[in-house]
Amino acid sequence: MASDVDGTPLVGRAELLATVCSALLDEAAGNTAAVFLTGESGVGKTRLLHEVGERLRDGDALVLTGSCLDIGDASPLHPLRQALRRLDADLAPPAAASVRALLAVFTEEATDPDGAGALLERVSRGLSVIAAGRRVVLVLDDLQWIDRTSRQLLLYLLAGLGDLQLSVLAAVRSESLQGAHPLRRVLTELRRLRSVRVFDLAPLDRAATEQLAAAVVRRPLASEAAEQLWRRSGGNPFVVEELSRDLRDGRDGLSDTLREVFLARVDALPGPARRAVHAVAAGVEPVEHWLLAQVVGLPEHDLLDAVRAAVSHRLLVGSDDGYRLRHRLVAEVLTDELLPAERAVLHRRYAEALASASGELHQARLAHHWRLAGEPERALPAALAAAQEAERLYGYAEAHRHWSVAVELTEGLPDVDRAALLGHAAEAAHHCGEYARALSLLEELAGTGSDLPACELYIRRARYLAAAGRSALAEAEYQHALQAADCTPRQRATAAARLAELLLHLGRYADAGQRAREALALAEGVDGATTEVVLASMALGFSEAYRQDPDAGLAVLRRALATAERAGRPEDVALAYLHLAELLTGPLNILEEGVVVARRGAERVAELGLGRSYGTRLLAIAANGLFRVGQWSEAEKVVSAALRHRPSGADAVELLLARCRLSVGYGDTEAADRDLDAAATMLAGGGARHVIPLLTLRAGLAMWQGRHDLARHTVQRGLTETRSDDLVILAVLVWHGLRAEAEAHAGRTVAVDDTAVRRLREIADRVARKSERAARPVRDVVDGYLALCAAEVSRLDGADPELWARAAAEWDRRNHPYPAAYSRLRQAEALLSRRRQTATAGKLLRQAYQTAQGLGAVPLAEEIATLAGRARIGLAERAVDAAPPAGTGGDELAALTPREREVLAAVAEGLTNKEIGQRLFISERTIGVHVSHIFDKLHVRTRVQASAIFLRSRR
Amino acid sequence: MGERVTGLGAVVSRDDATEPVWGPVHQDMVDLLADHPADVPAVVEHLTELQNLLVRLPPLMESCPLADFNRLYLVITSSVLDGLYADRFIDPIFMSRLDVEFAARYFDALRLWSDRSPGTPKAWACLFERMCGPDARPLPSAAAGVNAHINFDLPFALVTTFAHLESEPVDGSDQHHDYLEINKIFADKIPDLRRGYLDRWQLLIDMLNGNIDDWYQGELIGYTRDVAWRNAQRIWRCRHDPHRHERERKRLDDAAAALGRLLLSPLGAFLQ
Repeated sequence: MASDVDGTPLVGRAELLATVCSALLDEAAGNTAAVFLTGESGVGKTRLLHEVGERLRDGDALVLTGSCLDIGDASPLHPLRQALRRLDADLAPPAAASVRALLAVFTEEATDPDGAGALLERVSRGLSVIAAGRRVVLVLDDLQWIDRTSRQLLLYLLAGLGDLQLSVLAAVRSESLQGAHPLRRVLTELRRLRSVRVFDLAPLDRAATEQLAAAVVRRPLASEAAEQLWRRSGGNPFVVEELSRDLRDGRDGLSDTLREVFLARVDALPGPARRAVHAVAAGVEPVEHWLLAQVVGLPEHDLLDAVRAAVSHRLLVGSDDGYRLRHRLVAEVLTDELLPAERAVLHRRYAEALASASGELHQARLAHHWRLAGEPERALPAALAAAQEAERLYGYAEAHRHWSVAVELTEGLPDVDRAALLGHAAEAAHHCGEYARALSLLEELAGTGSDLPACELYIRRARYLAAAGRSALAEAEYQHALQAADCTPRQRATAAARLAELLLHLGRYADAGQRAREALALAEGVDGATTEVVLASMALGFSEAYRQDPDAGLAVLRRALATAERAGRPEDVALAYLHLAELLTGPLNILEEGVVVARRGAERVAELGLGRSYGTRLLAIAANGLFRVGQWSEAEKVVSAALRHRPSGADAVELLLARCRLSVGYGDTEAADRDLDAAATMLAGGGARHVIPLLTLRAGLAMWQGRHDLARHTVQRGLTETRSDDLVILAVLVWHGLRAEAEAHAGRTVAVDDTAVRRLREIADRVARKSERAARPVRDVVDGYLALCAAEVSRLDGADPELWARAAAEWDRRNHPYPAAYSRLRQAEALLSRRRQTATAGKLLRQAYQTAQGLGAVPLAEEIATLAGRARIGLAERAVDAAPPAGTGGDELAALTPREREVLAAVAEGLTNKEIGQRLFISERTIGVHVSHIFDKLHVRTRVQASAIFLRSRR
Repeated sequence: MGERVTGLGAVVSRDDATEPVWGPVHQDMVDLLADHPADVPAVVEHLTELQNLLVRLPPLMESCPLADFNRLYLVITSSVLDGLYADRFIDPIFMSRLDVEFAARYFDALRLWSDRSPGTPKAWACLFERMCGPDARPLPSAAAGVNAHINFDLPFALVTTFAHLESEPVDGSDQHHDYLEINKIFADKIPDLRRGYLDRWQLLIDMLNGNIDDWYQGELIGYTRDVAWRNAQRIWRCRHDPHRHERERKRLDDAAAALGRLLLSPLGAFLQ
């Protein structure tokens, strides 16, 4: 009989099998790859997964196989844990040590503040160890039931962040993708990537249907039978196989539907076998042999007979790890075949057997069976344990479900602290984004008459509302908290600080500042309220910056940093650094100092053990600042250092985009594309905030490639997905859009889209209007981009050198050499096209060329060189003259950045910081920072000593 | 006609014809549907190309019932796009995602139909079946499409959009406001569409429901869309439970299909 079960050949899938194998191995070439198979039930997805897995196992890849579960109580990361357990069982003990080590990660308590991210990182590290240099092929069945944590892990690994050569092969039931399944979005985004293929598994065609039927029946079918089989099966291999089998065994025609086919088979089973089938249907697959034995309660020998009969009737399949129903369709047939009381008995047996077994207790499963057995008081402890376990693995969605089940179970149970359960459930709901649910749980909690203080209730409600984006309601709740009679001074400080933060995000700077001051005053009177001090200082610092008193804002945050350092709580120190660096590189545009603070902060938080979480974020700020001031090679180093922390989530996306920005500037198309794909992979799991920066980079890259229609399209997408109050983002997008049209016009690559131009100009006007009312720092940035926009528009009808000169001046003033150099190129181009001021044009081109070369901006430098060549303007000889005096400095100056050399040269001339600042278009304060850096690097303490080294090196 | 055993025994009629589903434009349709537009400008382009193919579909050509719906849908979506450019919505990220998700479900239904898949939503299948005749009048055809799209597709598109944006369908939110703004777009377009379209459709449904007072001129789409919002909230609450989610899906599909069949029945011709 065994041959009957397993011997069916794989029909009609040879070509697909080869394509999938090749996509997973050959085409992956050192990178990650993924193949998703979609198809209806019974179309043969599982079979294909199996065949591919077997084939790849023969090579030198490490194949891991797991399935996702549809029961609501699966634990986080179930498919991976299952795959590892299977591997563990297959390996000899010494080889299994690394597998066990990884499995242990799932049961440990974690301490990292970036817990969820750290877990992903530890898992991927564990997989690397197990893989030992081999490619890992992760084969996942029933992906439609994947849990959120597994999904994040998958995207993280596919983005290449785990530093693992990974191929993923996953099957998705297409029926499940209808409706509102989250995988729909994920697949829509992923299928655009070069490393991802999605195959829709179609039913067999008529010839293949007959071939399969003939293989089962062991002779060709008569034409009438073949016709009938084709009509009834529609080419679904599962149906073909089952109907053919009936045909072969002379049962043909008895049953019209699949349901009847299977019910007839169940009826034909001997009693014990039928019991075994029903027991497996009530269990969680795979059902281990020992467990089935206890549930069915048959002597060993009888059980084996029973199982064998069920297998030969094609209702059960057995494998090393236990029994499962042959197919989901069988499970659906069996669902209604038991009386509720019969089912409850089976669940009770399962629960009893699981509870009495030795070894690791599967709490979620235990809770599931006790609950369905109708034993709430026994289900409750298991549900609590399952909830805690899920929280330990950051599976807040699962935890929320377990807590909710626990709350339901307590209905009518005496002596249970229902309020505590509601509190946990609310918090878990808040963490997994179920804000409305979190709020209603909180309401229920308030109604239990628990002794929860009113103030705390207000603060929690406010927190949930703020997270849900319902700011007005959140504000009111914080006000209530502040007025609550039972509010402790600490809580009052907390509420005021959080309220200030909320108001800041709403752009109500004056209110935010006032609340922040209140919070600071309150926090002063409370011991240990450092977190509140840091938060309130952030709100105050930014609101002052937006209200044009940057120095006051900066001073507040500096003080907060000192307070945090004194108090010594690592998170407070890290946050203080973060806010300070953001303030400097953001609204204040004091980039050099911001970079210094960010890098110093990154070092400091690494000492405090927060390198992975906060250190990464600080380095991202440093990298972006360095990019803007034109220190690209330095920025590159910082990004690499940050990525060595293996960040995940938004931090990872931020860094990938930072690196991509550099690659676009360098003109390294391949590296840029790779990072864009990796970022898109991460964003497929959610994260609208980063989509626009990604689109901007894609447009910039397309522009250098001369693909102006792609750039246009990308900009259009960005414009339709940006809020009208995001003035900076809109301004950047409009500039990219107009540049694409102007360059399409100049290069005659594609026709100019007049409608697009009209829309872009309308949006530019709207941005200009709105920015008049915006805060000064915002207006400054927007003005820079609007200057570029106006100049690009002029390129469409006779370029205006004056507009380009203005744009260059804007960016010089802001100390961003890259757009300034670009503007000079265009200014020169405009002058040359008017055949005027050739000398000025030459000067501009040389200046721009020098900047571009200094940055390493290859495409920009090439374009400058091309234009210069056309105009017969020499770039090289004069460029040497114009180079900064210290540009070729000796070894002693090797540690200095080009900017620091410029500053040092000026110091050696005897200029004051103020004078140097004027000469280099940067603030006096920033010069101070440079000077102190120069002193550090040269190991000197005075300007005279520094000047001496500089002069010595020039000899 | 043949029959096909699918799933647990639903017997679906199935053409044995070797004739491709989309006749002479079959390959063009398949190629077009292989692409999955990811933003609103791309959706508008997609619908435009689709329109060009549908009117070339024999035997009905210009009067293809699906083309009647597609034409209307294209008008509405173009207006949404204009609104996105013109700063009409508070949360354009939400509106864009919703529009793309919404359209994706229509394209999915077309794709399933191209594969002769039994998984084609019944709400859509009743309209698709009429492509080879008999000729239905443009009004009920468009109405049947609107019915499938709003009563069946829209709640799921809303849920996916909210889940992706890590937000929730809350009454009175910015997103709800934007969502209702679409009703105004329908209303703006109604003078064009009216010529017998909506007020008559409205009359028909009024008759069926015997509840004329509930609706007045131009409010019908608003009413159905409100039902879709409520349904989205229902599905939202059970989105993590595959079984309940599937039950909701079947319920909505059946309800929309029943109304769709009615619209396309001889009774529906009364609309014209």
